[in-house]
Amino acid sequence: MTPSARAFVAVALLTSPALLASGLAADASMRRARSREGDRAVATLAARLPSNDLALSGGSRWLRALSLEEPQAAFADGPATPDPDPAGAAVAPPLEVWLRTEAR
Amino acid sequence: MTRSSSLLAHALGAVVRRGRRSVALGGGLAFAVALLAAVLFMTDALRAEAERARAAQPDVVVQRLVGGRPATLHAEDANKIKDIAAVRGVTPRVWGYVFLPSLQGNITVVGARPGAPPISVADGVLAEGRDLTPGAHEMIVGAELAKFLGLRPGDVLGLPSPNPDAPALELVGTFRASLDMFTADVVICDDDDARALLSMPAGEATDLAVSVSNPAETRVVARTIGERIPGARVIERELLARVHHLAYGRRAGLVLAASLPALLALLVLAWDRASGVGPDERREIAVLKACGWSTADVLAVKLAESLIVGAAATALGLLLGYAWVFWLGAPGLRPALVGWSVLYPRAPLTPTVGVSELLGISLAVLGPFALLSVLPAWRASQADPLDVMRG
Repeated sequence: MTPSARAFVAVALLTSPALLASGLAADASMRRARSREGDRAVATLAARLPSNDLALSGGSRWLRALSLEEPQAAFADGPATPDPDPAGAAVAPPLEVWLRTEAR
Repeated sequence: MTRSSSLLAHALGAVVRRGRRSVALGGGLAFAVALLAAVLFMTDALRAEAERARAAQPDVVVQRLVGGRPATLHAEDANKIKDIAAVRGVTPRVWGYVFLPSLQGNITVVGARPGAPPISVADGVLAEGRDLTPGAHEMIVGAELAKFLGLRPGDVLGLPSPNPDAPALELVGTFRASLDMFTADVVICDDDDARALLSMPAGEATDLAVSVSNPAETRVVARTIGERIPGARVIERELLARVHHLAYGRRAGLVLAASLPALLALLVLAWDRASGVGPDERREIAVLKACGWSTADVLAVKLAESLIVGAAATALGLLLGYAWVFWLGAPGLRPALVGWSVLYPRAPLTPTVGVSELLGISLAVLGPFALLSVLPAWRASQADPLDVMRG
């Protein structure tokens, strides 16, 4: 590779984040434009739904409409966290207490 | 060829000569950037998705708390609100959850309020079928739920309910799959059918939707409602954006915190590689100085070497992060950020990222990276070339 070609490659690599940012931003812009075509449908639908919360749910608890059900504390424990209930705890509850309860 | 071109050509040559080191350094950096960028891209996309539907929500939602837990309220409570000066309308809403044993999960049953705008295939809300006919015991369900239950328009389904008189509902339409983010678990039916399914007595409602004529007065209206209905929880629409911002921000924080050990290991590796000048490199610097290169030239070449590796790795990381989330659908990352369920919305996310955010991430990575690698090179260039070459 000649020094000129090496210098050209070096410049291309140095400017690659800016070039890539432009390309990705253009792709994002196209996807946003496509998505905007559905804005009217979303608005029409949203008028029938109880909230604008997304249909996402965790395994540990049901927080479908989190904005309405826990407005002050969006997540008391948190999605994608271990189940806070004893059944899912990392440390088991004292078994002897359970046994005593069973015996009663 | 100009001086700067020559220096750049030399820097690239040095990067290629130390190929394995460059690949280790660049690969680690690219992976760290990809993970960070993917989490940020996805969090922003989720917030934007929720934001799309916010404008159509009521200005104020009123709920009732009993013992600190949400409870149904009397529809007549609407009368206590209607005469507040800025209130345009109050609508009691009926909605709630039904557990489907076959699904091992909850679905959201929503009563279609009288006067709600009609929906159809033409307006892009429905994939097939038509809107509900009041009193005909019909339902419209999300595409994902219909697929899971194997339902087609015309099928009749009896949903489990504590009320034995709850009617079976005929499927008359399904929501478009692109609206899955909002409808994956939703069943919309007549208000009376929803009431029967949820076993909610007549005259009660899940909450009240209040529309306000002047949005600037929402805060005052909310305070007045709180005074008129003791024990009410009053939720303003403006709060919703904050809730989603916090919720998804926290999810992103959790994912990044879980990835911190891996990110730290990569950064320590990168720092070790970038800050250490080995004997070969020290000798190379000494030879360059002996040949008449100034300290500024040596530093410029070393800076260019770091920037070439760092810039290429950052670009690769951004590309991987973007492709992971928006082209491949974020396998592995999506469950951690959006949760998991039997009914899982599969609609693709829309990127909100722009040039400024992408360049911001690049600069935040490249700045410290370049500084880290120039300092040891400067120290090496201060040494006497003859001493270094003699070993």
